Amino acid sequence: MPFAPVTPKLIDRLRQAVGVENVLAARSDLLVYECDGFVIEKNSPDVVVFPRHTQDVAEVVKICSAADVPFLPRGAGTSLAGGCLPIGGGVMIVLTRMQQIVEINLRDRYAVVEPGVVNVWLTNALKGSGYHYAPDPSSQGACTIGGNVATNSGGPHTLKYGVTVNHVLGVEAVLSDGRIVQIGGPTEDPVGLDLVGALVGSEGTLAIVTKVWVRLTRNPQGYRTMLAVFESVDDATNAISEIIGKGIVPAALELMDQGILVAVEAAFQFGFPLDAQAILLIEVDGLEAGLDHQRDEIVALCKQSGAREVRLAADDKERLKLWKCRKQAFGAIGRLSPSYCTQDGVVPRTKLPHILRKITEIGSRYGLRIVNVFHAGDGNIHPILLFDERDAEQTKRVLEASHEILDECLKCGGSVTGEHGIGVEKIAFMNRMFTDSDLVAMQNLHDAFNPRGNLSPAKLLPTAGACGMEQKHPGRRAAL
Amino acid sequence: MTTSLLPIKKTISPADPAEVASVIGDAFRAKTPLYPIGGGTTLDFGLPAKAEGAGLSLAKLSRVVDYPARDMTVTVEAGLTMKALADLLATERQRLPIDVPQSEQATIGGMIATNWNGPRRYGQGTVRDYVIGISAIDGRGMPFKGGGRVVKNVAGYDFCKLLTGSLGTLGVITQVTLKLKPQCDQTALVACAVSSASEAEKLLAAIVRSETVPMAVELLVGPSWQVDPALAALDRPSAAPLYLVVGLEGMHSEVEWMTRQLLAEWEQLGITSPLVVGDSADLWRRLVEFSAAGESPLVLKASIAPSGVTAMVEAARQVDSQCSIQAHAGNGIVVMRFSQFPANGLSRTLVGQLQPVAMAHGGNIVVLSNPSGAEMTHQSVWGGIDAPFGLMSEVKRRFDPADILNRGRFVYV
Repeated sequence: MPFAPVTPKLIDRLRQAVGVENVLAARSDLLVYECDGFVIEKNSPDVVVFPRHTQDVAEVVKICSAADVPFLPRGAGTSLAGGCLPIGGGVMIVLTRMQQIVEINLRDRYAVVEPGVVNVWLTNALKGSGYHYAPDPSSQGACTIGGNVATNSGGPHTLKYGVTVNHVLGVEAVLSDGRIVQIGGPTEDPVGLDLVGALVGSEGTLAIVTKVWVRLTRNPQGYRTMLAVFESVDDATNAISEIIGKGIVPAALELMDQGILVAVEAAFQFGFPLDAQAILLIEVDGLEAGLDHQRDEIVALCKQSGAREVRLAADDKERLKLWKCRKQAFGAIGRLSPSYCTQDGVVPRTKLPHILRKITEIGSRYGLRIVNVFHAGDGNIHPILLFDERDAEQTKRVLEASHEILDECLKCGGSVTGEHGIGVEKIAFMNRMFTDSDLVAMQNLHDAFNPRGNLSPAKLLPTAGACGMEQKHPGRRAAL
Repeated sequence: MTTSLLPIKKTISPADPAEVASVIGDAFRAKTPLYPIGGGTTLDFGLPAKAEGAGLSLAKLSRVVDYPARDMTVTVEAGLTMKALADLLATERQRLPIDVPQSEQATIGGMIATNWNGPRRYGQGTVRDYVIGISAIDGRGMPFKGGGRVVKNVAGYDFCKLLTGSLGTLGVITQVTLKLKPQCDQTALVACAVSSASEAEKLLAAIVRSETVPMAVELLVGPSWQVDPALAALDRPSAAPLYLVVGLEGMHSEVEWMTRQLLAEWEQLGITSPLVVGDSADLWRRLVEFSAAGESPLVLKASIAPSGVTAMVEAARQVDSQCSIQAHAGNGIVVMRFSQFPANGLSRTLVGQLQPVAMAHGGNIVVLSNPSGAEMTHQSVWGGIDAPFGLMSEVKRRFDPADILNRGRFVYV
């Protein structure tokens, strides 16, 4: 049964509910919201609302629900799998104006934030306290904590510290019928089902999160940050296996290959060796008493695996610059090509040498340039396929090559997404990773929260609310 | 193992997941309740079962499916005991750092279904942080899984989290993949005794700011601890002292440094005669075993903001001056073993005295064990709090429409 269209009368009702200044409905204003970081498919919402309070969200959801129109939440729109793509148009609820840090409680090691708080704001607010918020996605300067909750975001330091779900104690959320619920809170063992765990990473398909209780993490006493330079990608990936196999869990272990290094060096002039086939950025953190020992072990293991040299970050300034290069690497890709598509597969760490060889092979077979910068310690690859989205034929090759890479991850016993999410991009992979009955169980959970399916329709599950999803205004697929 | 707590005439022991599915499918069609049983160590947790049915033992599902040690993951069937898993992982100098009592009986599936955690939760997190893949059979007999075998994975809904702590009410867990940690080189326990709750709170608040990185922060109170041989060497500042025990783990150099540092920090706070526990293994064991049901007439668990732990301890001692208490104080978890069943009744004690303290500190209090079975109502057992039980019930109905899995035992309304 198709959903109802958004009418001018509905838009008026939304204006009354949240104020004229918090509603966008002009065609030109809506263009910004037609996609997130996944640019291959685009579609504009019919109207965008900016709630300022939980009550506003509840009110907007009730209006949408009563009118039977589709609606979906959006944070900063940095997600990479099309989770914010408004399929079928409808009402987009943008949470970036709910941006208060409500409480910081150091004694009990938690903070309460609204969903529109940008990830790094919280860590900035904690400066000097000895604590920080651990999940640090590379987009942390822009992405919101609400969006992090929706996608269960990771980041370089999740190797040691865990991903978003490991740091969320509770949420306040608006359900698909407009009810407001609090699930979990400042304490660790809430009574009953772990619905917090179910909501984190549900990509906006179960509820709209309006407040988040997050765990705060003690700052490490010190760091040792290393840059290991390799003549071959194989040697670098073998070194990763050796380090993890030795029982050393670095705080972060990232790989950048020659292709991305050239762009990053041009952008930031760090002094990376441009002839290296791969570098590993390795960081251990913790007590000073143990750091030199861990550093020495890692240096030795890298050298045994064929590292040409292992440099150490001289001071905190150099360390921060290294991390800036890593976290803004995606920003440097513009130097390589007009468009890119990044994949997010995961393999068991010992399969990294295999999957990287395979990526190179797939790239040359499709005539595509692929560069790599990724969370090697977790086995979470991010091959970046370079192309020009104005060229339909190239775009088609990019999609096919991407799918082949992800298929190979599955063959290795891995996953098609480690941190970006399924969204719309990888929806076709769900029935390759999961059986029909797995998907029925997922649909059951979905329907318990979102029975009509008009909250974030056609996302995550191949079956979710796919009915009645014809586009009212022409959707745009990049050049396809 | 005793299953006398359950209204069952027989226990079925399927040999593999397909048989589990067929047993559940049959029960679904007959609408017969099934009570999943792992090692049988926590069958008294939850509301007492009333509807007659059958036990469903997972004991025969005890295979190790895959242990790629260099990937630091392991895939095992749910009926494997915690001890058998620990022994296997030790061969590769790895571990699952979840402390579960009676590990020779307790199973992986049971640990996950009850979300049972111990002292190391402060430094290592809880069960939900380690389950990266899960397979289960729902209340219709339909197998389903979530997650996978890699350490990072956001494909699909996270059934690993949803099933952790679900008390087997959404599905019977048959197989899991766990993330592992390396074993540590050295472990130490550093202890001190104080006479008042306010002194204890001062020390606990200081640990939040400590330069050390503790693995466990335990506040121990009551007769069980006063006779503990490892703590006997401590000067007792009063007749009923509170012991603070801090667990430190890591490399030799780290543990040595932390021990010195913690003692120095305590000295600044007026702790003049602390103790570095000689044989820490024995005390660790007792810290892990304390939450087992044992002989206590009543065991309660509060989960509150850590700053409320001493208030909870005081409240429990007012109910029963001989109450023995172990708080995972850094996490706000307080396990209370009462020396006698409360004279004025369980519900009056909980609703009138203890639940208000838990709620004042943002949390809840649940019954872990009450062998008498008296006054085991939803209000008593599940904290009497305003949690989204309606929404949880909606999930339950979708996974177990005939309500056969652990009927009447969990939070549903």
